[in-house]
Amino acid sequence: MKEFQRIAIANRGEVAVRIIRACQELGIQTVLLHSEPDSQSLAHRLSDHQVCIGSAPPNESYLNIQNNIRGAQAGGAQAVHPGFGFLSENAEFALACREANLTFIGPDAGAIKLFGDKIEAKKIAEEMKIKTVPGYKGDNQDINFLIEQCEKMGYPVLVKATAGGGGRGLKVIQSKADVREKIESAKREANSSFGSDKVFLEKYLDRAKHIEVQVFGDALGKIHILCERECTVQRRHQKIIEEAPSASLTEKERQILCELARKIAEKGAYKNAGTIEFLFQDGDFYFIEMNTRLQVEHAVTELILNLDLVKAQILTAQGMPLNWSRTELSARGHAIECRIYAEDSYSQGMPSTGRLGDMELPNGPGRRFEFGFETGDTITHYYDPMIGKIIVWDENRPQCIKKAIEVLSQTVIFGVKTNIPFLKAILAHPDFVSTTMTTQFIGKYFPNGLEQKSLTNDQRKFAAFAYDHCTLAHSNDQIVLPNPWRQDWRV
Amino acid sequence: MKTVVFQIGAKKTTGKVQKIKDTLWVHLNGETFTFGPERAEKKRSSPSTKITGIILAPMPGKITKVDCNVGNSVGVGNVLISMEAMKMEYSLKADKTGKIKFVGCKLGDQVALGQKLVEIE
Repeated sequence: MKEFQRIAIANRGEVAVRIIRACQELGIQTVLLHSEPDSQSLAHRLSDHQVCIGSAPPNESYLNIQNNIRGAQAGGAQAVHPGFGFLSENAEFALACREANLTFIGPDAGAIKLFGDKIEAKKIAEEMKIKTVPGYKGDNQDINFLIEQCEKMGYPVLVKATAGGGGRGLKVIQSKADVREKIESAKREANSSFGSDKVFLEKYLDRAKHIEVQVFGDALGKIHILCERECTVQRRHQKIIEEAPSASLTEKERQILCELARKIAEKGAYKNAGTIEFLFQDGDFYFIEMNTRLQVEHAVTELILNLDLVKAQILTAQGMPLNWSRTELSARGHAIECRIYAEDSYSQGMPSTGRLGDMELPNGPGRRFEFGFETGDTITHYYDPMIGKIIVWDENRPQCIKKAIEVLSQTVIFGVKTNIPFLKAILAHPDFVSTTMTTQFIGKYFPNGLEQKSLTNDQRKFAAFAYDHCTLAHSNDQIVLPNPWRQDWRV
Repeated sequence: MKTVVFQIGAKKTTGKVQKIKDTLWVHLNGETFTFGPERAEKKRSSPSTKITGIILAPMPGKITKVDCNVGNSVGVGNVLISMEAMKMEYSLKADKTGKIKFVGCKLGDQVALGQKLVEIE
């Protein structure tokens, strides 16, 4: 057992803030390893110590292993929390931490290597007689050879970055016409995001659901199965809305799924937080990958189980037990997470950068706001457009959906456009409400985001009056406008 | 942020507003929208889907591939430029059939929002 006095955070934005707050609760100091522009960020303000590890492009800071190691050492940390994305699933980084006498908060390098390489992970699953999706996973990266493999499998085919997580370097090839361009583009994205252009191909299941299991290996070697999450609503393979538990499974299917996850996690004698992802189609589960890290959507699991995964990660890395009892690990109610992206819902999800204006996050029971930015902070084009996430909990799924829509409606974010209107449209869609959505949902119903719409007369009238009056107000924050009809009439 | 109460007869409407530069950000009845007397009007009257043959950078970012040269013939939907921004790659396609008249960027360039990248004759 060791005790950390100081933890370095090799990440930014919302997850960096999440980790800082967990450390504060545990009485551990934090060192934020940040890029140049992120010296103006909420995580920078909240952390105890800060070390700048390079310029804005991720390759020169957040993805640079040596800069992160040197930063953590300079900051006097005993451990490094990698968050998610960036170096969180990089076995080399975990090894470099060990060599530098820093504890990597996550599984050991061996487990990352074993599961982190998606091709190897699929082989392990196949050896255990767990279904996987047909595909080509070999070393031959010649473009013409890869095209040939696609032809053999039949379209649609997925092309994925071997080293990647999330939606980066991942494309769907619909037909022969775009096969070359899609593979080349996936290779470039993979290279710039992960430093390796190795890709693999996979037959695309076209009416599947994405269901994953949160697992956690504690310091005593016990594997905890922490329920499933459903993340079927994805755009360009990036998750947008996640929920727990999945409403698509029968109790029997849930048990089968959890057993599959347990088998995989126990095979790797897995330590710390991990997620095992499956596609679910026609009653069968297909293993797709294991993420050897905390996930963005961990919060929905936390809300239905009433626990803190980040604190559990830190305790486990220190060799301390968790004392999770069976009763604590029984799920209650339903949780939904909405990822808030800085983008224009009405122009095909185009990123919206700039300075954040005023925000209002309407708190209440079962409402959780995880934001990495505050008023005055700048959203740059260098990084992921996710500015935060809103997670709600309620007794059951229908109430939870209603609550999520209401909370999104009450949330005010000025200065940059957000996907809140898009999220509300998804949550209200009959396919989402009835749980019949598949991973095709966005492509089928919202291929171009939301239709442009013009302001209603009431909106225009309100805005026009407020426009003239809002600069006149002084100390009083509330301006009561006179009856507009009379004014109109006078003019 | 200011709260604005707007009374139409007996009906009371409450919204939140903030003026940022010339634009008024408004949150009213669960929706957020922007309002700037002239700009807002102009934007709405010229939808971005108009066919112009001019490809502008839809966001600031880095050019990752240039698939066309001056003089090439292209058809609608041909990929002309690939660019990367906020870690996602976007393909910019020809919106009309014609000959490439101008290419304003090369591989690795950092381009600004609205910068002219390609023109089709």
